Formats: sequence, C-alpha cells, structure tokens
Amino acid sequence: MSNIVTNTASEPAVILRGVKKRFGAVEAVRELDLEVERGALVGLLGPNGAGKSTAIRMIMSLIRPDRGELRVLGGDALDAKDRIGYLPEERGLYRRMRVGEFLIYLGRLKGLPRHGLTARVEGWLERIELPGVFRSRCQELSKGMQQKVQFIGAVLHEPDLIVLDEPFSGLDPMNARILITTVQDLHRQGRTIFLSTHQMAQAEQLCERVVLINRGEKILDASTREVTQRFSPRAVEIEPLAGVEAARIALESIRGIESVRTAEDGRTAVMIVDEHTDPHFVMGVALAAVPCRRIEIARVSLDDVFVRLVTEHGGHARQPARGAA
Amino acid sequence: MSATNKSSGFRFSRIMTIASREFRHTVLTKGFIFGAILFPMLMFVVIGVMPFLISNDQVPVRGTIVVADSDGSVARAIEIAFAGYKKPKDAEKPSSATAISDVLSKSQRGDLQGLDALTDITTTVEVTVRRMSIDDDLAAIRDQVQSGELLALVEIPAVLLAADPPTDADISLLVPSNSPAKTTGLFARVARQATVAARVERTGTDLAKALSLVREPRAETARLTSTGEHAKENLELRFMIPGGFMMLMWIAAFTSANQLLTTTIEEKSSKVIEVLLSATSPLELLAGKILGQSFVSLLMLSTYGAAGIAGLAFLTMLDIVPLMSLVLFLFWFLLAYFMVAAIMAAVGSAVSDLREAQSLVQPAMIVMMVPLLLWLPISENPTGWLATITSFVPPIGPFVMVLRTTGAVEPIPPWQIGLALAVNGVSTVALVWIASRVFRIGVLMQGKPPTPMELLRWARTR
Repeated sequence: MSNIVTNTASEPAVILRGVKKRFGAVEAVRELDLEVERGALVGLLGPNGAGKSTAIRMIMSLIRPDRGELRVLGGDALDAKDRIGYLPEERGLYRRMRVGEFLIYLGRLKGLPRHGLTARVEGWLERIELPGVFRSRCQELSKGMQQKVQFIGAVLHEPDLIVLDEPFSGLDPMNARILITTVQDLHRQGRTIFLSTHQMAQAEQLCERVVLINRGEKILDASTREVTQRFSPRAVEIEPLAGVEAARIALESIRGIESVRTAEDGRTAVMIVDEHTDPHFVMGVALAAVPCRRIEIARVSLDDVFVRLVTEHGGHARQPARGAA
Repeated sequence: MSATNKSSGFRFSRIMTIASREFRHTVLTKGFIFGAILFPMLMFVVIGVMPFLISNDQVPVRGTIVVADSDGSVARAIEIAFAGYKKPKDAEKPSSATAISDVLSKSQRGDLQGLDALTDITTTVEVTVRRMSIDDDLAAIRDQVQSGELLALVEIPAVLLAADPPTDADISLLVPSNSPAKTTGLFARVARQATVAARVERTGTDLAKALSLVREPRAETARLTSTGEHAKENLELRFMIPGGFMMLMWIAAFTSANQLLTTTIEEKSSKVIEVLLSATSPLELLAGKILGQSFVSLLMLSTYGAAGIAGLAFLTMLDIVPLMSLVLFLFWFLLAYFMVAAIMAAVGSAVSDLREAQSLVQPAMIVMMVPLLLWLPISENPTGWLATITSFVPPIGPFVMVLRTTGAVEPIPPWQIGLALAVNGVSTVALVWIASRVFRIGVLMQGKPPTPMELLRWARTR
C-alpha cells in the first residue's frame, strides 16, 4: 500500500455549517456545525437515534440536508466518491457473490484499474486475517467476517477520507482489535478518518477528537485530552495502609481539600480538590503525610462524560418514524 | 493521495461495470440458461426433427382387408384405390385404369376434393381387398381381425349406396386393437370415399366429371395497396406474424424488467445499496442496471428470434418478414424495454419486498396488457384509426407499432413511423428521468411503501 502524500489544501476534509435535516415530524439533525481537519481521526459519538448516521449519510451525499452548508474534500461528496471510503452502519453484501468478485466489483466502481486488483484484494484479505475466502460466497461467511469484507470494500481504493459508521459493533474483541490496528495504520499514513460509535472505550483509545451529538444537536466537540481535563472530577484517590478512617484527619487537613469520602470498596479515600488547587500538589502532600498502598489522580472516562452530558441534555433521542435507511 | 485520481463525476465506465455485473449475474444462472438459451434451441431442434420422427414412425401397411357390401361396388372401388396407389415420390403420373381408378389416383395429388384419402400417406401401402362372400363366416373373419391376420373388416350397409342415403347409417370398420391410428384413419377415409364413388357410379354419372363440377374453386385474395401493388393475402400469417413479434418483444422486455425489479429489491433489502451508492451515484446505478438488463433482453430476443428466423428459413418463408420490419422492430423493442424497465426500477427502489411491489406494479401491468388485447383488432386493420391513435400512446405505442409494421399490407405512412418514434422516444427519456428521481430517494427509504402520490412528490423533489 502506498503512503499518503500530504495534502496541501488548507480546507478541512469535512465541513458542516448549520446543517439541518428533518424526517416528517422528527428533526434528525439540528443546526449541526462540524469540521474534520485533514489527517485527523475524529469520533462522532451519541446515543442511538442521536442523528449520527443521518449526519454521516449527509456527509456521503446519500441524503441532502434541508438547510446548511456541507463540503467534503473541498466540494460535494458526489464529486469525490473515489477519494472517500465508506462503511455504512447497515452491513450489506451480495449474498451469492464471491468475496473476491464483490471486492473487485467495488474496486472497479471506485475507479481502480483492473490490472493488479486481484492481488490488491488478496493482500487486504491477508492483512485483515481473512485468508482463503477469496472464492467463498459472501453468504458462507460469519457476520464478523462479512463486516471485515465490507471494511476492505471501504478502504481498498486507499481513499483520502474514510467514513466508518459503527465499525466495531458486532465484532468480537479479536476482530475489533484487528480493525482498530488497521484504522490506526491508515491514520498514521495521513488519511482522514471520521467514525461514529457508541463504544466509548474504543473511541477513547482511537480518536484524537470527539464530537458528541444528542437529539440531532452537537453537545460536545473537543480533543480527547481536553474532554478528560474538562470533565476531570478534580479528585485524588488514596488507599492508606492504616485504613481510611485512621488517615481521614490527616487528609482533611491538607490545604485545598474540600472534602474526603470513603469509596465503595471501603479501602480508598477520595479527596475532592477545590478549583484553585493543583491535584498534583495535593498528591505530593498526601503521599508525605499518609503511608499508602496506592495514590492517583481520579480519571474521568469518556463513558462517564457521555452519560453525564446526554442526561443533562434530556436523555436519549427518539427514533425517526420513517426516513432514510 | 488516494489510489484513484480520476474525476469522480458521472462516469460511463462505472455504468458499464454495473451493467456488466447485472448482465453476468442474470445470464449465468441455471434458470436463464435453460429458459432463454436452451429452451429455444430445444424448441428449434424439436420443430426441425419432428417431421422426420413422424415420417420414420410410419409402419408399412401390408395385408388384407375384407369388405362386406351388397353388390361389390365399394369393394371394387377400394381395391382400385389401393391398386392405383403409389408412394408420392414415385407417383409422377396418375395411374390409369378405370374412371374410378383415375379419380382415386388423382386424389393422391390432392387435385380433387373429397377423394384425397391417400394424399398424406408417405409410407408403403400394399393392401389386398377381399370381398366377403355369402359363404364366409362373419365370426371367423372377426376372429382373424382380432388376431391381426386381417387388417380390417369393412361393412357397408346397402342403404348407403342408395341415391338418397339416410343420414343415420354408418360404415362399420373393425380393426385389430393394436392397429395404428394412421392406418385406421386411412381405411376409414378410403371406405367413405369408395362408397361415394360407388354411389355416383350407380347413377351412371361420370365421377370425375361430377367431382369436377362440385369442386369449389380456391379464392386467392390480394390487397390492392395505395401504391398499386398487389399484396397476397395470407390470413394465418397476417395475424400470427405480428402477434409473434409482439409477444416476443413483450416477453423479452418484461422478463428483463422484472429481473430489474427483483434485483433492486434484493439490493435494498440486503442493504448493499448503501455501499453501492457510496461508490456511484443513483443515476449511474440506475443506468447501469437498466443497461445490463437490456443486454439480457437483447440476448433473449436474439436466441428466440434466431430460432424463429431459422424456423422460417426451414419452411422457406423468410420473405414474409422484410428486413426493414426487423430493423424497426429493434427500435420499438428498445423503446418498449426502456419504458417498462424505468417503471420497474422506480417501483423496485420504492419498496422493501416483492409483495409491496405488487400493488404498485399492478396498474402499470394493466396498461401493459392493452397491446395483448389490441392484437387482433390492430392486426385486422393495421392502418385504421385505433391502430394509428394507439401508436402515439406511451407506453403501449411501441407494441402497437410492432403489430402494425410487421402485419400491415398497406405500408405505414412514414410520418406515422417518425412521429411514433419521436413521441415514444421522448416519453422513454421522460420516464427514465422520472424513474431516476424516484430511484435516488426510494433506494434509501425504509418502512411502509409509498403511495403513488408520494412517488410523484419524490419525482418533483429537487
């Protein structure tokens, strides 16, 4: 596979400005603003029915927004289909078609020359740990294998922009890991990757930036590091050797501590740090004052942020009654 | 940079890639290979071989028949008939014996109506006729017939030889149980005709003369066209040829269009459509699918058409289908196919399964049945007002024009052909355009099928 050449165009790979889409009475996407820089790996998060797939379909020009501006790779996605790879949420293959023939067909549609296409497909099948299925019919493969075949269909033509809608759903941990590694490789080559998921652990592991939408609205758009910092609980967890109660007075006397509570495990004390104090300073003082088995700054998971923000934003969205697939 | 750096706009190569897949995956199925290729070939082989099978199947007729009649005149006539019989390839001239023999032998050439019992016999016939005498034992003769020693026992009631025979008296013909149907048919016809000959002979009338007098002359109809030409009338061909062409066109167009409907629904229900639409535009997908299926229908048309033309060549009747009619037929077919295909593709894109498709396809099917209903009236008068008006009514126009151009004795005015091509051509383009509008929205829709009004709204949506 050839390495990507740095794209000199300054315009982001994906731009959505004030994009709106309604299906009957349901407003699937409301005034969505979004930018995906070239070469970035961005995750689009949100609960079921939040409008992720609708947003992605609009990016792919499969459906048109009712309002707003939408640019992909400097223009309309329709004009750049050969430079975009897409894995839709709804997996679909020609059931009776052979795997190799199907991938060659997709490659041809994406403008790949016939010469060398078979070798390219076989190479990808090897790479993604699907050897020996070139001549198998799609219907003979397991669901996970079919998903990997479709993934190859999305990246076979080495696109500049790769859009993956829930790429890891339904995959076992082994296959998910293979796909994650491949996505990371593609990102390292400089390809822009925009993926939707509601599996926070994978988003946290993969994405440089996350965009959270709920009920068609963007409620968070920040780098993964920023999210962790912004939603950090400002807490230090310590497991004293003498027990929580014995250490409580010493811990409460540290400057900048608002309160100390016992964690659910009964062995750990959680010190809540005020907003003017650096948790690292608190950690150093506590370590000197109380002999302990373990001490660390409490981390927030993307999962916690997701639940908190979605709950604050009014809970899960409703599913459209009828609309695009 | 991506591996593909060509322009991603509307690309003919993509359309051809889709068309090629559509063609291969329809044609390379057992059902298609049997139905569209092997079946017409088999049909042609059977039609070609059948006459040989039938003629070879005939067994020689050799043996004796016993005739029981009141005065021996029928037995004599039968005897003369068989004696005068020669296998057609040997019968250069009629045999000459008596007047009856002349008549009966002439009948071998089919010159005379009524006495043609031996005209279609191509096998060896060596029959001895024995007249039943008063000493013969009827029961013994019946036993001999039953055992196959005798070919037949023919009993002619005396009343049948009267000048005014009753209508309720019949000749009795007894044959062995395993006697071939062709042989018994031959005996029955010879007996009937010999009875007539004997009856006429009794009146002293010359049979040949009498038959000549009552023979109905044939009427050869020729239509005098506006150009002053005489066009020979052939009633059977006048209806069958246009009907055959139209049916061929109808079947080929609908088989492929139906396939288009099915594959579109399959692509939608298997969710592969979204993968395809990420690589191609709806219009390219639709164009590729319609084009691919048009190749399928042309292949089908070729196999059936070739079988038909080979059949006509075999019957030395190629001249009844002028070359111009065949050229025009191709145009009418393409117009008809693209119209039907556009309708089917639009419906296929809008529904999720075949059951839902039925309700939307039904109105179109009713319209498309009209040419079948109009076959006889239009073939009867291909230049009449009904034929002329319906030629300009899409989507039935191309079917009507096929009926007219292949069946009309009077040439269809060129302006009508031109106008029909223009009207139906414009309608085809319009229908394909509307179908593409419906298709691009329909293929991504799920849920309950749209109403016809919703389809119209989709067609108007920008």
